Amino acid sequence: MSDNDTPETETDGGTGIVPPDDETPTWSERKERSQGLSRLTYEYFERARREDQDLRQESSYVERDVLGFPAWPHEMIRNLALSSFFIGMVLFLSATLPPEMLPPADASSTPSVILPDWYLYWSFGLLKLGPLNPELALLGGQKLMADRTYGVLANLVVVGVITIVPFLNKGSARRPVEQPFWAAVGVFGVVFAFTIAALSVKNLVPIGSHLLFDLTFLLPFVFGFITYAVLKSMREGYMFTLNRRYYRLRPPK
Amino acid sequence: MSLEKKDEHDHEGWMEERDLTAVEERYLAILMWLDKRLRLVDYLELLEDMYYKVNLQMPKSHTEQYGLDNKFWYWYPLYALGSFSTLAYLIAAVSGALLGFYYAPAAAASAGDPTVAYTSVTSIMVDLNFGYMLRSIHRWSAQVMTAAVFLHMLRVYFTGAYKEPRELNWIIGIVLISMTMVFGYTGYLLPWNQLSYWAGQIGVEMALSIPLAGEWVAQLMFGGFTLTQATLQRMYILHVFFLPFLVTALIAVHIGIVWMQGIAEPH
Repeated sequence: MSDNDTPETETDGGTGIVPPDDETPTWSERKERSQGLSRLTYEYFERARREDQDLRQESSYVERDVLGFPAWPHEMIRNLALSSFFIGMVLFLSATLPPEMLPPADASSTPSVILPDWYLYWSFGLLKLGPLNPELALLGGQKLMADRTYGVLANLVVVGVITIVPFLNKGSARRPVEQPFWAAVGVFGVVFAFTIAALSVKNLVPIGSHLLFDLTFLLPFVFGFITYAVLKSMREGYMFTLNRRYYRLRPPK
Repeated sequence: MSLEKKDEHDHEGWMEERDLTAVEERYLAILMWLDKRLRLVDYLELLEDMYYKVNLQMPKSHTEQYGLDNKFWYWYPLYALGSFSTLAYLIAAVSGALLGFYYAPAAAASAGDPTVAYTSVTSIMVDLNFGYMLRSIHRWSAQVMTAAVFLHMLRVYFTGAYKEPRELNWIIGIVLISMTMVFGYTGYLLPWNQLSYWAGQIGVEMALSIPLAGEWVAQLMFGGFTLTQATLQRMYILHVFFLPFLVTALIAVHIGIVWMQGIAEPH
């Protein structure tokens, strides 16, 4: 709203859209009156924005010069198709495989098989790690904690380890071939989830319980090592192709 | 020119010295009146800011830049697992709300031997029109959601999508997957049949084996050291009140962060 109506030169190409320029009030100008922490926040925002802009200008990244893949109808129809298929699958399953109703709760008769739902088998299996609970010589052959405490602790440890994965494995590698070790760790985890689940239902698995217990810990390592070996041998070829594509797109100066 | 200091905020005077039409004058008067009371200018500023942001040129995504569309769409089913679990969550929410109309969380025995909870579930399955299907849909959508969530986690792990700057979302995901399992566990207990009862027994024993805080946790979650009416009531409230709120809010945050950060695309 300029009082003096001097015609300004058009810089927006007729679109009416003008990017923020030097005359646009900055955050610190807008919030000059604020004090203390909020003031500090806006000052930081200002710095961050400037940093962002500088990074954009100096980097070689490509801005969109064509319209993107249209959300409507292409993207929406694909999503609708997939969603309908998925809902259809759920309805099909529920129509063909309805749940059974078991006998009512009875505190006086213990069923021969006690099981949680399938997705908790791994956790249930971890409760049965009593044989691994060390008897410490320091405590005169006593166990540091009860077997069941040990099992609950094992659950916490597993969840904790999964949680800190992003802080252990850094870097920009994405494909398993780029990081055979971490892919092997992943395969170890998946196989262990299955074997520990099998351990939790051991009275339903037709293997001797000692063999099953050994296999529970052996198989994940076996599969992990196989994954590592395979990916390691694939790695060279893959990295060659990746690098070739990278340097084709950005030829060295 | 008067010596009096000019009042910068004299909007009326400013209006008079402009040559305004009647419409503009009315408009400005209303705008000022509202602005004085509601601080509209702040919101206009926000809107203006958003307008510029929306019209910014977005950078090309990784897939676009390196022509990896073929790779991305090839793996697309795996990348859709997150939305599938959200979808299954919604189906479970709707069917669960409908089931809630007919279910009663009472462990007290009715006339015969089975408890009220058990008989209400059987009556949903046997007497209610479409009730068996409803329970079946609820159960299957829960199963499918859990499966989808597990596979989603594997996909994120093996494509390295948890790496910087997405660590926070990985941790939120871990919380969500745990809560999904608690959702499943509490739901598993509600029919109060043999398996529910003995799974509940295992839960109490797990809670009791936590060092120091064990008894307190058992009291809090299960309402005692043996399974009673209090246990069923707590499981019910967890299943239909606490968890829905928490999980829905966390899913919103989880998806919001994905929206802000963009999908970690394959290389």
